[in-house]
Amino acid sequence: MKTKFKLTLLVPLIVSATGCASLGVEPWERDLLAKDEMSLNASPVDSALDDHIYFSKEASSGGKSFGGGGCGCN
Amino acid sequence: MRFIVQPLHFTFYIFDEIYLKKNSRTITLNKNDDGYGISFNAMASPCEVIIQSSDKQLAIKLGNIIADEVWRIEDKYSRYDKDSICSLINTRAGQSVPIDQETYLLLNFAEQCYQLSDGSFDISSGVLRKAWLFDGSDNLPSKVKVSAALKFVGWRKINFDQQQITLAKNMEIDFGGIGKEYAVDRAIILAKQLTNKPVLVNLGGDLAVTCSRLNNKNWQVAIEHPDVDSTVNHSKPADMIISLKQGALATSGDARRFLMKNGKRYGHILNAKSGWPIDNAPRSITVVAPQCIQAGILATLALLQGLDAEQFLTEQEIKFWVRR
Amino acid sequence: MKKEKLNIKAALTLATTALLGCHNLAQAEPTEKDSWEFDAAFLFYSEVDRVSAGEAIFNAKKTFEDEDVLNLKLTIDALTGASANGAVAQPTVQTFTRPSGNGQYQVEPGETPLDDTFHDTRVQLNGQWTQPVSSNLTASSGVHISKEYDYLSLGLNGNLAVDFDRKNSTFLLGFSYFQDTFTPEGGIPNPLISMLIGDRNAPTWDDDFAKTRLGSEDDKTTADILLGFTQVINRRMLMQFNYSYSTVDGYLNDPFKIVSIVDINGVTQDNIYESRPDSRVKQSLYAQSMYHFDNVVLDVSYRYMWDDWEIESHTIDSRFRIPMGDSLGKESYLQPHFRFYQQSAADFYRPFLLEENALPTFVSADYRIGEMAAFTVGLKYGMLVNDGNELAFRLEYYHQTPTDAGFEEPGVLNDVELYPTIDAVIVQVTYSF
Repeated sequence: MKTKFKLTLLVPLIVSATGCASLGVEPWERDLLAKDEMSLNASPVDSALDDHIYFSKEASSGGKSFGGGGCGCN
Repeated sequence: MRFIVQPLHFTFYIFDEIYLKKNSRTITLNKNDDGYGISFNAMASPCEVIIQSSDKQLAIKLGNIIADEVWRIEDKYSRYDKDSICSLINTRAGQSVPIDQETYLLLNFAEQCYQLSDGSFDISSGVLRKAWLFDGSDNLPSKVKVSAALKFVGWRKINFDQQQITLAKNMEIDFGGIGKEYAVDRAIILAKQLTNKPVLVNLGGDLAVTCSRLNNKNWQVAIEHPDVDSTVNHSKPADMIISLKQGALATSGDARRFLMKNGKRYGHILNAKSGWPIDNAPRSITVVAPQCIQAGILATLALLQGLDAEQFLTEQEIKFWVRR
Repeated sequence: MKKEKLNIKAALTLATTALLGCHNLAQAEPTEKDSWEFDAAFLFYSEVDRVSAGEAIFNAKKTFEDEDVLNLKLTIDALTGASANGAVAQPTVQTFTRPSGNGQYQVEPGETPLDDTFHDTRVQLNGQWTQPVSSNLTASSGVHISKEYDYLSLGLNGNLAVDFDRKNSTFLLGFSYFQDTFTPEGGIPNPLISMLIGDRNAPTWDDDFAKTRLGSEDDKTTADILLGFTQVINRRMLMQFNYSYSTVDGYLNDPFKIVSIVDINGVTQDNIYESRPDSRVKQSLYAQSMYHFDNVVLDVSYRYMWDDWEIESHTIDSRFRIPMGDSLGKESYLQPHFRFYQQSAADFYRPFLLEENALPTFVSADYRIGEMAAFTVGLKYGMLVNDGNELAFRLEYYHQTPTDAGFEEPGVLNDVELYPTIDAVIVQVTYSF
């Protein structure tokens, strides 16, 4: 009695996860997304410092998060 | 330096009827030539942690962190512990039992293994032990008995999501096939967080290292020959020496568990779909892989291939050793 | 679509990283449970011949066992140096009165008038509490307080995030509200009134100066609404789209900025305090994408902003995180950064006013609401030290080019620089432990 692995069963699963038609991944495919450097705000401290600089030197602010007020620099 | 590793396998294919008492939870520290070894008992196996560093405090801290983690996983997932989540899920079969993220991830992993093996690997197959007792005798169970037990096997009858799991009535699940290997990998993660010194974690023969030894040297791991048949003629078989630079190593199979009838040997590796032993399964398989849980599953999946085990492993392009 | 060669080992690798990787992140280690994570950063910003600023951030984050997160942040910054007062350069020496009224300063011929009295210290505190309400709903709220010598800002914010489709999609709804009070030294100048310049020691000086003032303080409120949508595209890619609506009401002038009034020869006849509308509605669309190549992580974003002052801006920001293995320190990485920014001018922006024309209701010569382009290039270098604490250095160069939006330059203004460029260097050190 031999067991053959049915790889065909798994192929649609992988294809549906990486395909163009359907977005998103299964929980066990989050290996890369789970990394710190893949978070949308990977360096919040850098962002806060940059936001402050550009808020005080340019006419735009916010977009990524709140533009806010907070200082008398503009 | 060699590290003698005794394979004491605790996969769910080995239907151990002995009730395992919790060993007294103590940790022993030994000084080696160039570091420390920490030993303790967990999951019915002797466990050891080896660190290549002369920092005694670090070794003690590391040993405690790893032993605590391994004991935590044992307490949480052992089916022998009536307070474990595993026992709770089994005793409440038929009802929904809430689960946490870690349990969900383990169940997800088990599901992947089930799919990859086309149903031969199934963590709900433990109830087959009600039919099979591998004591070296010729007591084969009746077909009726096996089919009766098989009714309560089947991953597809299990419903689970991120919040809960519901087993069909009389079903049971068992993390034995992945628990120890998972604990090795968790221990390695914790070791890496604590130190960048080379560390080896060995839980009863399933082991992994954090990195190569100092000066890029390999770890030399000696695995004792598990085949008791060969000791009948009083010649202790040679240890198998495995040189490991990085990654993990796991062994599946146990030569001592079988039944003999009419000259035919019935090994303890059961096919979860048929309820009957796999024909011509190797006695044990050792596999090297990046993570211990991967090595363990690959070894187990190979055993399930019976005669084709070697071919299966060759196709996976991994390092392996098969004993028949 | 590329079909990957599938084998069991590869599928298991994926399953294994899901099991070990996610758990590692989702659940704190026994030793780390209920413990704090800290970030300390110091940034130094220096413009050539203009302002320098030092800013320190100390951030403390505590994750509780039930995944509630408390974040506390302390920011301290100090600013010193010279800032453009808005007046145009002239071929002669110019005299200006300091904002406080206590003194005057002179600007050399051909030089862009800079007020060198800027120095301020600011302390800011933020607290943010985030907690899962149910498995697919996360709520967060926070408070903000910022105090400097002449400015107080109080803020509140609240967010709700709803996850769909195995947490592959997330909707975010957020609002924030700020209440700011400005008490500049010397009071609030009366818009469009001439800056008093003359004999500081004249007995009528104080009375005359007071006549240019409206009061000692004024305030403004800012209310923001943010709608966001985040989508996991595949194992390597994730995108975010935001729309934000921001309304600012109240005192929106810069009390230190003036506008030169020149005659047909371009010679300054008067300097008046700027006058901006008392409300501004800003909107923006923002898209960001993260892509994980085999090793490198690419982060690209684009923002389009527009407001009812008729300012439009485009911002492109990109970072490439390149892991260097252990070659430059343990688990080191290099991260080049490039940012491009371009804005059009506010409809009331004028680099100067012509004497012959009637005084407009609103006018500002603040180059920051004029037409400009800017870019930033930078490099960050990070590594692990002391068993897993991250140390990172960042060096950036920021270059601003205010541009002429087509204002005709009479007489002597042809010979002076009306749109001086600004160069700044940013240095930052961050330690996370």
